[in-house]
Amino acid sequence: MAEKASDAFKYRILRFLDVTGFTVFDPVVRLAFNEEPSKQLKAIYYFMVIPILFALFCIFVWWQVAPNHKTKSGEVPTPDIVWDSAVINDTFSYREKTKEKDFLLVGKEREETLATVEAEIEAKSVELSDLKEVLAKHEADYQSQLDLRIEPLAADLDQLKDENKSIQDEIKAAVSSEAEAIEAGAGSTDTLLEALRAQSAAKNAARTAESVIKEQIEEIRSEKYKPLAQARLDVNAVADEVQFLKKRVDFLSGSNRSIKVAEAEEKLAVSKEKLSTSTTAKAAISEANRVLRSESSIERLEQQQYASAMTVYTQIKRSLFTVFIGFIVAAMIAIPIGVMCGLSRVAMACLTPIISIFKPVSPVVYLLIFQIVVGAFFPDPDSHPFFLFFNSLPWIGGLGINPALIFSACTVAACAVWPALVNTALGVATIDKDHINVARVLRLGFKDRLLKIIIPSALPLVFAGLRISLGVGWMVLIAAEALSSSDGLGKFVWDEYQNGSSFSFANILYACFVVGIIGFLLDRMMIVLQRLVSFDGGGTSL
Amino acid sequence: MSYLEIDNVSIGFGPVNNRSEVLKDIKLSVEENEFVAVVGFSGAGKSTLISLLAGLVEPDSGEIRLGGKLIKEPSPRLGIMFQNYSLLPWLTVQENVALAVKQVFPKMGRAELKEHVEKYVAMVKLSPALGKKPAELSGGMRQRASLARTLSMQPEILLLDEPLSALDALTRAEIQDEIIKIWENDKRTIVMITNDVDEAVLMADRIVPLTMGPEATLDSAFPVELDRPRNRTTLNTNPVFRQLRNEISRYMVTLNEEYKAMKADKVVDLPSVMPVDFSVYPNIPARGRRRREIAKKLDPKTTFFK
Repeated sequence: MAEKASDAFKYRILRFLDVTGFTVFDPVVRLAFNEEPSKQLKAIYYFMVIPILFALFCIFVWWQVAPNHKTKSGEVPTPDIVWDSAVINDTFSYREKTKEKDFLLVGKEREETLATVEAEIEAKSVELSDLKEVLAKHEADYQSQLDLRIEPLAADLDQLKDENKSIQDEIKAAVSSEAEAIEAGAGSTDTLLEALRAQSAAKNAARTAESVIKEQIEEIRSEKYKPLAQARLDVNAVADEVQFLKKRVDFLSGSNRSIKVAEAEEKLAVSKEKLSTSTTAKAAISEANRVLRSESSIERLEQQQYASAMTVYTQIKRSLFTVFIGFIVAAMIAIPIGVMCGLSRVAMACLTPIISIFKPVSPVVYLLIFQIVVGAFFPDPDSHPFFLFFNSLPWIGGLGINPALIFSACTVAACAVWPALVNTALGVATIDKDHINVARVLRLGFKDRLLKIIIPSALPLVFAGLRISLGVGWMVLIAAEALSSSDGLGKFVWDEYQNGSSFSFANILYACFVVGIIGFLLDRMMIVLQRLVSFDGGGTSL
Repeated sequence: MSYLEIDNVSIGFGPVNNRSEVLKDIKLSVEENEFVAVVGFSGAGKSTLISLLAGLVEPDSGEIRLGGKLIKEPSPRLGIMFQNYSLLPWLTVQENVALAVKQVFPKMGRAELKEHVEKYVAMVKLSPALGKKPAELSGGMRQRASLARTLSMQPEILLLDEPLSALDALTRAEIQDEIIKIWENDKRTIVMITNDVDEAVLMADRIVPLTMGPEATLDSAFPVELDRPRNRTTLNTNPVFRQLRNEISRYMVTLNEEYKAMKADKVVDLPSVMPVDFSVYPNIPARGRRRREIAKKLDPKTTFFK
């Protein structure tokens, strides 16, 4: 009986893997339930171990090849640097969140946190000074090593320079004597030219010889001294941490919301006190005004939110939100029109030219069109009731909805509408003739025919179309955000490209992975939906 | 006048200048509660005939009347059961049947509807598969579900379009018995299309052969005068059964031969080509004069290639 229960559990897991398309893990589950272990191990070897080894091989190749290509933004980053950039982005986002929490902390909790943070600063400062010492030591080491290696070369160079100078002087003297001879009418012009040629040749030779040594020196200087670089990184990391902690202290004390409010209230109390004791009419009015100002400032302070910087996670959230808005709009347009086209050949004939012409238009063109069109609707976006309303909503308010988001979403919709539309029309038009006959025999009305026969029958193809649409939408969105500087992952990439810090290139590659992984997850989500609505039990292409 | 009357019905398909008549001057009268089987070769127009009866296609000329009323469009009272089940694959057996019942009996309450559906599903012995989708059922079970759906509409006439042709022999026999039993318990008019003479003889009261298409028509009927219930096992030794079966089979074979003979008139002239063995003339290339000499020896009409 127990065995049967475990079997049922196993098949439930296998079914889940099947629906989600993760059939690769099938043998792992079977192995866990001890089903034909040798067969499963073989499957694991062929379909998991070898692909993983291949992936590792690719990473290895990347590691080896990347540093060989020097670009104006530095070397192509290796996998470990990209990983570092992921970690840095994560830390940044964690710090922003912590600061936000600190800003809103109140009362005893705030004091406790403040105490612990201050203690941490203490500890970190000690660590920092230690590390700085280490760094200084390394720097001194490096400098002495450098001096040791460069000194003989520098001496060589000086010697060479001296030698060259004396040669030059000699030639110069020869040239001038030659010239004087010509002035006296005794010399020959040929010898003068010869001497001048010799002079320039000597100059070139000297320069070349000097530059060889200079290059050697340069090379030594540019050689990376690993312990020093590491020490610098360590110091920077801890210094960053300390800076962050100091900022926290600020948000826990002076810049904390509750403190600010308390200060304002104190001021208010003083003003009120003054107002009640004021003797002259003029003083009373000015004090009363002060009271009113204080009151309104308290109100404002109470509503104040932490102005968080855009982290990669908020960019992801915003991009996902935008793509879903665009996708939903696309689906809401595509499905009814697709059904109409599938049902009526006249509708199909009417829409075919429109579809054919607007389907191949580049997303960039749509972006520009929508930027102009949407901009005209919202002349003053900051105070437009539409945005004020959406930004006051609890979940999506923090995303900062603005015209840029709207026209990015419109661009996504304009590009994502076509695959869904065409597939829906196909699904409706190719409905099984038997099913139509059933509808005729049962004398279903138009509504029943549509809802009970046509739409369920077309659903698998509709979802196949939606899946393509979402993929297209995600791809288009990143480009649109990059081009229009609308906040989101696209802008993250664009900002990195523009800002050109040492981590920019790594951040772009990191964003590439983030975009890819999210795109993959979105596609998987659509596959699951498609599998759930497809009644034929057939698989979908992965 | 009979219950179901097919009166000089003709139908054809294709464009005006190249129209092929599928059925021509079909005449058939079926009495109430009679079981008529129409046998014919594939391609003869059997499915077109049943579609006509179900109102799914309209005849070019002639009329079909059921109980005196003209059949012009499909309706639940013309209970057609399709060859390939045509169950809706996204609905369970229960939902498939319920969809039909709801449409035919819109006033039925929820409990009554459930009972009705379950009754018909039980009638075709499919109760255990009530909650399953067609993809999870075998061919026989799907045909049972389809039968349950058709029966649940309580049609005035059952039109069976080669209902068992896609099934294996064992399942086929089982469902044949099932259909006969249901019919005997709840008599109604049945027109069944089949290509199996044994099946027709076993089940029907009357067998009508459909001649070869194009321009197929119904020939004179063979009445089946075997007592019911007919026993499948003893029937094979029954002389009446054997004689009737042989008679119909012979008739069908003759039809087929006639058809072939008719086709034989339309002989397409093929070029008279003959292989020539040039190895009998060793070392001499068969070109130019030599070739013409060889050609002379052969039939003058023959063309040959090298």
